[in-house]
Amino acid sequence: MNSYLDLQGIRKNYGTTAVLDDVCLQAAEGELVTLLGPSGCGKSTLLRCIAGLADLNGGRILLQGRDLERLAPRQREVGMVFQSYALFPNLTAGENIEYGLRMRGDSKRSRQRRTEELLALVDLEEKRDVYPHHLSGGQQQRIALARSLAVQPKLLLLDEPLSALDAQIRKNLRAEIRNIQKRLNMTTLFVTHDQEEALTMSDRVCIMNKGRIVQAGTPEEIYAKPRTEFAARFMGSYNVLTRPEAMRLFGRLEGSSDSFALRPESVKLIRPDEEEGARAGGKRIVEGTVDSVSVLGTILRYTVDSGGVRLTIDVLNDGRSIGIGERGSVRLALDPSQLLQLEQEGA
Amino acid sequence: MTERNGAGWGHRALQSMLLVYLLLPLAATAVYAFAREWQNTLLPKSWTLDWFGSMFRDTRFLEALWNSLYLCAISVGLSLIVMIPAVFVLTVYAPRLESLMKGIVVLPYAVPGVVAAVGLIRTYSSGPIDISGTTYLLIGAYFVAILPYMYQGIRNSLLTVSAPELMQAAGLLGAGPIRAFLTVVLPNIAPGIVVSTLLSFSVLFGEFVLTNMLVGAHIQTIQVYLYQRVGESGHLASAIAIAYFVFILIVSMALMKLGQRRSGRGKG
Repeated sequence: MNSYLDLQGIRKNYGTTAVLDDVCLQAAEGELVTLLGPSGCGKSTLLRCIAGLADLNGGRILLQGRDLERLAPRQREVGMVFQSYALFPNLTAGENIEYGLRMRGDSKRSRQRRTEELLALVDLEEKRDVYPHHLSGGQQQRIALARSLAVQPKLLLLDEPLSALDAQIRKNLRAEIRNIQKRLNMTTLFVTHDQEEALTMSDRVCIMNKGRIVQAGTPEEIYAKPRTEFAARFMGSYNVLTRPEAMRLFGRLEGSSDSFALRPESVKLIRPDEEEGARAGGKRIVEGTVDSVSVLGTILRYTVDSGGVRLTIDVLNDGRSIGIGERGSVRLALDPSQLLQLEQEGA
Repeated sequence: MTERNGAGWGHRALQSMLLVYLLLPLAATAVYAFAREWQNTLLPKSWTLDWFGSMFRDTRFLEALWNSLYLCAISVGLSLIVMIPAVFVLTVYAPRLESLMKGIVVLPYAVPGVVAAVGLIRTYSSGPIDISGTTYLLIGAYFVAILPYMYQGIRNSLLTVSAPELMQAAGLLGAGPIRAFLTVVLPNIAPGIVVSTLLSFSVLFGEFVLTNMLVGAHIQTIQVYLYQRVGESGHLASAIAIAYFVFILIVSMALMKLGQRRSGRGKG
């Protein structure tokens, strides 16, 4: 395997509990791979192992074919942005960026030039002489990013870098980080618990649970075809159905799975006069009662009860479905081809 | 609004009473230190600076002051040299040992000064280490006495600036541990260390029991000197007490100023 980054069977225990259990992951040069999972799934620990801040209990980490195990963090040529940024409070923004270059022994001229370059990269030229505690959260984040990029690491690790910021700034920075990453062709591992963040930013997403990577793929694959119940639930508002529930909705089922997933936008609310057309298109029509409606901007999210099965249904908020309120009865058109079979956990 | 004013009035009265209670003896001492004749009147009949004059002319006073200063300075200095690296290593690399350290560090509080002094004298007046009555023993005892302040002060500063994370960040940027400590940890914990230093210094400067029992017969520190002069002249003793109080006041105010500046910086 000639991957740029190659993680082979990584194991890490704290006491007797396994935090990382045989994690294998490859990344190509210039790829942005997201580790997505709930807190405690081991994603941050994996980053810390790669950076050398935590020891491995087994497995190998190869970066461009070089085994990192015996190397101290400073010899690994790996850059990391911490969740708390960990900017040096006694140094200005410019000096923070310059720090790694100073440690490397670059000449003063080249240090200054590089610092200017990076300040320009993150669009904070005017903040060079400002101390970190006078910068906003987003600005601190960008300086931290610039600081770790200054020494041109071979691999960039981002540990939930956006989680401390408010929604609007987070969205902007998300795009900016992705932009910079693409421009520098920087191989990046990005840790997050936010599935939207993972889907919008990544080339590839790895869903982690209990110290394992349960599914990996492009954002499209991960979203359209969750393999396990965990992945389906974690990817957002998927309806996860047991076999009897799916039977009740769809009548007959293919395959032998015990659980099924149904995308909330694949279910359509239809008017009586649309029923014939839908039936002709292979859809199944069931009746239901609306439990609640919430407005999520461009989407209306309905919770509908159909014969004891609760379904979440997303409808484009285009003004056509406003008439349906709570307690109202509705007709649902279900598309059997959209019903996904889920594998058993751990399979 | 009226309610709040009422409460404010009550608080102020209580505060004033407390202040009077605390400051009255001090004020009396101060007045006494400046009084020439003070027999049967409310305030002295005539004033003088003689007591202060004779205090400063007394070479023993200056010697005692100097003794106190250098003994405290050496003890605090020694403590800084030992404790900063020790607490740093403990906090950053072996946080699991912290609970053990916390136990050890409060011991000086748990053992009363008299008990500690007797124990120290017995241990060190014979046997392989015979240093009773010497400055070595006193400095050793002082070192232990300020352990809690130093440990807590240094540890809190380290945690406030998240030293472990700063070290990791610096390490990933290519700095070795010592260089990282000197460039990104030490400058950030310096204000906290200054506060612990001044606190320890003023604690030691006012310490009497250990000092008097361990070295009182051999070395005169400012406390021992004050204690000995009380019997001779009330006026002189008052002058010494006031001079001593002013000194401690200056140290404490410097301490508060530094504390404020630090918290201000943290917030900004």
